[in-house]
Amino acid sequence: MRDREIDEILKKAAQAPHDVDPALLDEVARSIGSSLRPVRPLPPAWVLAGGMVMICAAVALAGAARLGLNGIQGLSVLERALIFPALGILLWLAATASVSEMVPGSRRRVAPGLLLAAGSLALVAIFAVLFHDYRSERFVSQGLACLTAGLLHAIPAACASWLLLRRGFAVNAVAAGMMAGTLAGLAGVTMLELHCANFETLHVMLWHTAVMPLSGAAGALLAWAASFRGRLGRSRAPRS
Amino acid sequence: MKCEARQNDCARACGDWRNNWVSGFSLMNPDSDLQTLMARYQRGDFAAATALIRRLSPQLHRFFVVQVASRGDADDLLQETWLRLHEVRHTYRAGEPLLPWLYAIARHIRVDHYRKARRAAAREERLEEMPEVAAALPAGSGGTPDLKALLAPLPESQREVIEMLKVEGMSLEEVARATSSSIGSVKQKAHRAYEKLRERLTGMGLGAGRAGGLP
Repeated sequence: MRDREIDEILKKAAQAPHDVDPALLDEVARSIGSSLRPVRPLPPAWVLAGGMVMICAAVALAGAARLGLNGIQGLSVLERALIFPALGILLWLAATASVSEMVPGSRRRVAPGLLLAAGSLALVAIFAVLFHDYRSERFVSQGLACLTAGLLHAIPAACASWLLLRRGFAVNAVAAGMMAGTLAGLAGVTMLELHCANFETLHVMLWHTAVMPLSGAAGALLAWAASFRGRLGRSRAPRS
Repeated sequence: MKCEARQNDCARACGDWRNNWVSGFSLMNPDSDLQTLMARYQRGDFAAATALIRRLSPQLHRFFVVQVASRGDADDLLQETWLRLHEVRHTYRAGEPLLPWLYAIARHIRVDHYRKARRAAAREERLEEMPEVAAALPAGSGGTPDLKALLAPLPESQREVIEMLKVEGMSLEEVARATSSSIGSVKQKAHRAYEKLRERLTGMGLGAGRAGGLP
């Protein structure tokens, strides 16, 4: 059997009339009409994504300025020219993906999990190429301090991004949470690159980069918990 | 009084003209007509909201009937979808295709419903029985094959892709947007669905020539 023949069968099946109870449609129209008022559509995606990148950059800069801009001062021109544009590109990709997840029917250029994994690997690769100090003094204590600082800076970035996107609607809450978390995590990584003067390869590769996947995972987990609570609430609510 | 009556006549005439214009325009470009109605709905126009409900409900209802077990559930889902669409109508952006936005929300409602239904063990057993029901390929009204029975053997993800592509006539790009996936993934699902349909229909000795006369 050829594809065209299957097409034909599907076409015939689709041509069968499908009516909906007019009373049901009247009821829907009535319930919508009772709360109908003009609404302001969401701004274009690039405006929202641009706003989120600005928020993350502002959080990273403010955090690094408060803690000291030791990292960027210690980096060579080549290191700066590679690390910050890469972070900028990742921030833009995560912001556009985050906006796509909050606007139903948007074009999804890359799956959230893939972006998180590829972004983390790209950062690890860039750090591995640029830093060649293989000592690991006070590896865990210094690492935990950086990880905590990065994650603490991801929180305000996530909150501010949520404020910007609060009018959106996530059809896949976990994916939206993961992307928001990834974006916020990137704000934390950017802050660490501006602030942290520890250029030991393993330290930067593990503890700095870890902020992004951990923040992404936390975002996904929080979104899952929130949507689970929402579903539970809706199923318990009496139906009108 | 006379003046009021004249105003009403005038408003009716304007409404008729607008309706005629809208239906005439819809023949030229149905998608941009839907977009125009949606934009008016966002501006608080009740007539546009009603027109959208009347035009889009049958296809949304069919989407649910094919995906879920009963017509009653499909009625509930349709109602729930319109209420949710109403709540988030500001997330539609002018100039974007309307159907992917609509189906993305409808899918979300259906997935929610599926999760609730999955908790009930009885419903799970009924879903497993569906391919057996499909084997009979019962005819719908007018001797045409029943779409639900035709697509029932397919996994849910393939069924929705085939329905959007072949029944609603959406493009690959639109289906990819509605299902939050890539065009490649949509193509792959459609290909696999066709393989399964071909296997089943060939096994039953059906061809295009006999499609209309299915028992």
